[in-house]
Amino acid sequence: MSDRIRTQLLKGTTTLLVLTVLHDGELYGYEIAQRIRERSGGAFVPSEGSLYPALHALEADGALQASWRESNRGPRRRYYKITKTGLGMLEAHAQEWAAFSVGMARAVGGANQR
Amino acid sequence: MIDWPLAIVLFGGGPAFLIAAVALVRRSERRLGTGPDEFGPPVTPGQTGAVEISAYLHRMSTELRLPAADVAEVRAELADHLRDSIASLEAEGFELDRAIGEALGRLGPPAELGRQLRAAHQSTRRLLAGAGGGVFAAGGGFVLGYLGGSVLALLGFVAVAAVVALLGLVGVRLPDITSHDDGNTINSLLYVTAVAVAAATATRYAVRTSAGLSRRAPRTVAIFWAVGGALVFGWLAIFGMRGPQSWLSVAVELCVPVVAVASAFVRIERPMPHVGRWALIVGLSAVAVMVLALGLFAGVSTSGGAGTPQVAEFQMSDLHLDTVAPMAPTTWLPEGTITGGGWGSDPASGGTSVGDTIARPLSNWTDVRFEAWHALPMDAASPGGIDTRYSAPFEVQPGILNGNDLTAVFHFERLRDAGPWWVVLTAVGPDGHRYRLDNGGGGESYFSGSAWDWLTAPQ
Repeated sequence: MSDRIRTQLLKGTTTLLVLTVLHDGELYGYEIAQRIRERSGGAFVPSEGSLYPALHALEADGALQASWRESNRGPRRRYYKITKTGLGMLEAHAQEWAAFSVGMARAVGGANQR
Repeated sequence: MIDWPLAIVLFGGGPAFLIAAVALVRRSERRLGTGPDEFGPPVTPGQTGAVEISAYLHRMSTELRLPAADVAEVRAELADHLRDSIASLEAEGFELDRAIGEALGRLGPPAELGRQLRAAHQSTRRLLAGAGGGVFAAGGGFVLGYLGGSVLALLGFVAVAAVVALLGLVGVRLPDITSHDDGNTINSLLYVTAVAVAAATATRYAVRTSAGLSRRAPRTVAIFWAVGGALVFGWLAIFGMRGPQSWLSVAVELCVPVVAVASAFVRIERPMPHVGRWALIVGLSAVAVMVLALGLFAGVSTSGGAGTPQVAEFQMSDLHLDTVAPMAPTTWLPEGTITGGGWGSDPASGGTSVGDTIARPLSNWTDVRFEAWHALPMDAASPGGIDTRYSAPFEVQPGILNGNDLTAVFHFERLRDAGPWWVVLTAVGPDGHRYRLDNGGGGESYFSGSAWDWLTAPQ
């Protein structure tokens, strides 16, 4: 898949991806990007330039809680934790995405069959 | 009988409101007070790619326009990210220079990243919280500032009174900067000082709280609060603050909105002084000193003159009433026609009501009126009476007959320089000349109203 198409597909899914990886536990920014890449098997590499605005916007909305603390290796880092609001948001986004992807698969599948 | 709702509001609600306001300010201004020191410099000089990373972060920061703590956090977080990213790229086999360029490139243009981060922080929800919190903090700040300002003003008053009294003892008289109200000498500056401190505290609290809550730079927020402060305190200074006035008090009152605006900008990033135990001790001591000093200096005005008794006995000629008009001949005004008279405060208008009791009709008299003349002050040297430097009354009101009472209302409190006055009833007799129908009476009135009333008052 070309980078341009991936970027287009990733637009609007950063929130869902971030909330999904943080559902497993607290992570800092760079780890979040790495975890998304790992979980998608390298299919999704979120733009680092859009990752931090997304993280900060989710924090402003109360979906994430951030705190500074020492990491296992290296200096103090800003860790993000999903909140109750964030869990609700994750559920809503996941349902929307499921409905969207099923519809998209049907539409694209139908086109391929013709 | 205890008025419980009022008691709860005064002794429960009031302090609770102030504590909540101060807590909100303290909590909000944490975003302003913590700069880069808490996180350390995001990039250590000499560190790998320090110059490039610093330049990138600097460019990004110029677009943030957030409170200092947020800027420091964003810079520290992105510096961490870049360190990880560069290390990871080097591990993948990138040369250092290429790894730095690639890591910075992945974050995108710094200005665009700064704008996106600013938009992420400055949500509408936070803006509304900042506006509401600012109004709340302004209310608490005004009350706290007024209390603190009152203590400061009283301390100043005591100090000035002491200095003036000492100068008075050695024969130095200062210009009278006091105003009078119902015989009590008060200093208008006390009130204005307290309001000025309250305005400054209110504006400052509002800016710091709304900046912290809305995640906007204090200087950005300050513009809006300065405009609000100028309007609110401008209105208060011109129309709202009523009482005795002088040119000095009007000038100081007009400084209140200026103080409010200045407080929104001057060193707004610096934290408010913390009111600690010592400040409370000093404040309480000040009140104790004030009470003691007021007791010691009771009867001494700030102009240095001491209160003196009125002349006990005087001749009618000492009042110089013939300056007004000759007394009406008894053939035209038989004895017992006017049985009594006096003056008092008019509760309806706040003016001075004068009146005479008319026992018989004032036949053959026309243009019956009360004349207010400038008078001499009543003190040990003078019983009052007409000030002969004037040849005409400064105000005239027609007598309104209501039953047996002939009355008129004067508004001496709206005249800048009414001072001592003497009101006499006069009328035009059958010969076409004006005569005095009574000996009148005198008092002393001083201007009372707003700065606008003072500025537009007749001379």
